[in-house]
Amino acid sequence: MLTATLRSLVAHKARLAMTGLAVVLGVALMSGTLVLTDTVGRTFDSLFASAYAGTDAVVRSTDVVKSPFGQDQRAPIPADTLATITATPGVAEAEPTVTGFAQIVAPDGEPVGNPAGGAPSIGGNWGLVAGLNPFTITDGAPPANAEDVVVDRASATTGGFGVGDTVTLLTARAPRTFTVSGLAAFGEVDSPGGASVALVTLDVAEDLFTTPGTVNEIGVVATSGTSEEQVVEALSAQLPDGIEAVTAAQRTAEDQSALGQALGFFNTFLLVFAVIALVVGAFIIYNTFSIVLAQRMRELALLRAVGASRRQVTLSVLGEALAVGLLASVIGLGLGALTAIGLRGLLGAAGIDIPSTSIVVSPTTAAIAIGVGTLITLAAAVFPALRASRVPPIAALRTVAVEPKPPVIRIVIGIGVVALGVVNLVGGLTQGGDAALAGVGGGALFIFIGVAILGPAFARPVVRLLAWPLPRLRGITGTLARENASRNPRRTSTTAAALMIGVALVGFIAIFAASAKASIDQIIDESFSGDLIIDSGQFVNGGISTDLADAVRVTPGVAASTGVRFLTANLDLPETSTPAGPTGDAAFVLGADTTALSEITDPQLTSGRVSGLELDEVAVATTIAESAGLAVGDAVTARFPTGERTLTVTGTFDNRALLGDWMVDLATADAATVDRLDVQVWVKVTDDASVITVQDELKVVAEPWPTAQVLDLTEFKASQAEQFDQLLNLVYALLGLAVVIALVGIANTLALSVYERTREMGLMRAVGMDRRQLRAVVRWESVVIAVFGTLLGLLIGLFFGWVMVLALSEQGLGVLSIPVGTLAVVMVLSGLAGVVAALLPARRAGRLNVLTAIGSE
Amino acid sequence: MTTTESTTGPAADPQPPVLAARAFDAVKVYGTGDTEVRALDGVTCGFEQARFTAIMGPSGSGKSTLMHCVAGLDSLTSGSVYLGDTELTSLRERELTELRRDRIGFVFQAFNLVPTLTAAENISLPMDLAGRKPDKGWMDEVVQTVGLADRLGHRPSELSGGQQQRVAVARALASQPEIIFADEPTGNLDSRAGAEILGFMRRAVDELGQTIVMVTHDPIAAGYANRALFLADGKIVDEMAAPNAERVLDRMKRFGD
Repeated sequence: MLTATLRSLVAHKARLAMTGLAVVLGVALMSGTLVLTDTVGRTFDSLFASAYAGTDAVVRSTDVVKSPFGQDQRAPIPADTLATITATPGVAEAEPTVTGFAQIVAPDGEPVGNPAGGAPSIGGNWGLVAGLNPFTITDGAPPANAEDVVVDRASATTGGFGVGDTVTLLTARAPRTFTVSGLAAFGEVDSPGGASVALVTLDVAEDLFTTPGTVNEIGVVATSGTSEEQVVEALSAQLPDGIEAVTAAQRTAEDQSALGQALGFFNTFLLVFAVIALVVGAFIIYNTFSIVLAQRMRELALLRAVGASRRQVTLSVLGEALAVGLLASVIGLGLGALTAIGLRGLLGAAGIDIPSTSIVVSPTTAAIAIGVGTLITLAAAVFPALRASRVPPIAALRTVAVEPKPPVIRIVIGIGVVALGVVNLVGGLTQGGDAALAGVGGGALFIFIGVAILGPAFARPVVRLLAWPLPRLRGITGTLARENASRNPRRTSTTAAALMIGVALVGFIAIFAASAKASIDQIIDESFSGDLIIDSGQFVNGGISTDLADAVRVTPGVAASTGVRFLTANLDLPETSTPAGPTGDAAFVLGADTTALSEITDPQLTSGRVSGLELDEVAVATTIAESAGLAVGDAVTARFPTGERTLTVTGTFDNRALLGDWMVDLATADAATVDRLDVQVWVKVTDDASVITVQDELKVVAEPWPTAQVLDLTEFKASQAEQFDQLLNLVYALLGLAVVIALVGIANTLALSVYERTREMGLMRAVGMDRRQLRAVVRWESVVIAVFGTLLGLLIGLFFGWVMVLALSEQGLGVLSIPVGTLAVVMVLSGLAGVVAALLPARRAGRLNVLTAIGSE
Repeated sequence: MTTTESTTGPAADPQPPVLAARAFDAVKVYGTGDTEVRALDGVTCGFEQARFTAIMGPSGSGKSTLMHCVAGLDSLTSGSVYLGDTELTSLRERELTELRRDRIGFVFQAFNLVPTLTAAENISLPMDLAGRKPDKGWMDEVVQTVGLADRLGHRPSELSGGQQQRVAVARALASQPEIIFADEPTGNLDSRAGAEILGFMRRAVDELGQTIVMVTHDPIAAGYANRALFLADGKIVDEMAAPNAERVLDRMKRFGD
């Protein structure tokens, strides 16, 4: 039997190659994702290790604030802690580290780096203790006075400047110019992970990045003969409450695990697309095996007739699947490294910069890629294999099998699976975190499988309806294409189902994005009565100094204005079951001039007072207050990067879409943060001023901050839409692979059909069909299948979009917008894709030798 | 032009016949060197208009190859083939296709019909491919002749073998081709259905003036023809006017000698 399996494999190389291709592509994306994540992880692991290479211990605050995005913020410590440390036995040297946001502006006025979507823009102090400073000067000299800055070599190259040039640093303080005194390398590389780095003297750093007299942490070098643990133990005995000492090893491990977590999100995001590609691949494997085994029915029956058991037939088919799966997975893994490079480019195009280093293929990646690829192939072949084993020996004597009508049980099961999917989907959307992902993903998968199970039941009438114009437009070739597309409903519907998946997701994303854009427009139109928005283009990694908001406030023609910033806080709530943020009680709190805010926006007050908030007063979104059990007058304990504060609830508001969940005034915001950086400045102009005039004036005011864009509302909406589009294009590109795999599936099915119909094609050629007409028959069949799959996909995508908007209406996704134009383009493209998928099979059909064809068995 | 020179038998007709198709010194060689097979080895022959000609011969005699070459399905190694005044060997693939579509009818042994098309659609297939409207009156007459009026909406899988062959004959007749080539048209049928098909073909020649060339190894089938050509080893070895089953059988037996 093994011999039979192997012979069969070798005898159908082309067919195997096509089947395998579907697996290869899916596995390539999956291993590419894993390789990319491993590579990035390895890069940063070594980066963090070298950052603390010469350090033995780190002294820091015990106050930690978790961010909803997983980046912890730690409170600064008094600078005079240094004295306690140096006096501790076992300490050889110690030096404070001060870090913060610093955007470098090159001499030509262009900002360097892309902190919104890539490595951060870091500022800090130049370490004087060689062992504690991971940077080495490669040109020029360290900063000697308050006007000097040392910049990483990569930024100098990008910005096109060098030693002696003047650069500007944009920080939480006023923009300040410096002379580049030197360029530095981070260990062996030009920049730590692509971050831009500006290092100044300690005094200047304290001034720019912390409140004077405080530092972020203090690095310690132990005396020789003292271990990391010993020096930490000695320090712990001396340090006051609220300040701790940890080993450099622990500090490195923390950074690495924080990054691991961040990479985890990223990994999951990309793996979702790999899984989609693999599921589509599974459909194609299932279909190919089904068709091939139906074609080989007589051969299988002959095997049974000469004494092969059902078990042997099943195992023979599964053996074939195992071989295909294994081989394709290995090739896919090999392509994974290339895919990783492609993915990096793709993410780069979407504004997410990933440092380029050598590719890491870990044994885990190899094991996962090969294991998953092989298992999916096997799983997809199980049903066809079982069906093959049921071929009775007598079938060897019969001619072609007729495809049975789908039994009622199939329809019942199909509807059941779809219903299960819908329940999961809806359930997932009402939950948070991993449960949501599992629910939505599982629900979508069930819906796809359910529709695929139902497919054969409705494929015939629907395909005939879709192909209705063909005979009228294309005559006999149209009739033949329509008949061919509807003669094997199971084959057609499974082939179409593979395409359906990719298209459904594309359609869903398109609807989601259009709805999100429409919702943003609606929020701005309905509840934003301001006229201009100054946008920093950043969110958590930086912003604009509050100096800009101060300057805006006194600009002529400005009636009301406020800087808007987001504070990271950890809240202790009376009831913990709150959807405050993705990581438990970590939340963003909006900080703004609440008096001005009430003039510029409509907070949609529901109780108490939400404007003119005093120090340590907080306003809460109504639904959050309800779920957390908070009412006006209640106290909330909030931990901010500067320490714990008790906030009093003064009022509740409904406009969560614009203002978020929590809101405090500037006094509280100033007290709660070290880095005072506005994300945006919202402006309302006076009644008698022209918006354009004020906009021009504000552009002048904002000139020192080249990252700030002064936008009117139309421009702001457009810039938001642009950000969506960028992400959208990334998602489309990643889904594109699933669509390509589905097209391979269509080509595969058509090739098998052409092979199967050799005789009738030969007959048609004999009685006068020319090659062009024969190719057209294959091509139109392909177009019909593609359009059928696309139609199914768009309907499902529409349903997904509708459910999504229902579920998220309260979070600001209030408008269901169907991008009819985009969906029409998808439809037309799919028709064209059908033409492309038919290219090879049609060519093969056209090349058919008439005599051989009519003579063939 | 009108002679049938290298045929060995006596001339069948008193006056020179008009030829619908003819072959001159047709040679067809398959393979090269040791594996070389001369399927046709210098065949010259003609097929008279409005006549029913049978090509007879044992397996491997080249009778099917001759038909394929005259019908534009296969090309000659050397020599020439004419359909009416058209020389086939100089035609390109596309022109051959159009020639088969517009000027030739085919009836094969089996798998004559496109399974996805109804009987009616199969009958009009060549004309549909050409984008021509079938002549309604003629179609009706053909359908009546082969007795398929009540089966037109059926697909091949819903028809018996004999009915399928009748549809095939109807298709061949429907486009009023200059010549119909039938390749063992009764090979897969029982004797009754076979006799029916042969009867239709005979009537098509007698009543409609159709030209038919049939390849067969069945002496009874040959008995329906006006003339039988005998091939052996790629050469025409004999010819028989007004053949009947017995005489043909006798002649065939001699091939075994």
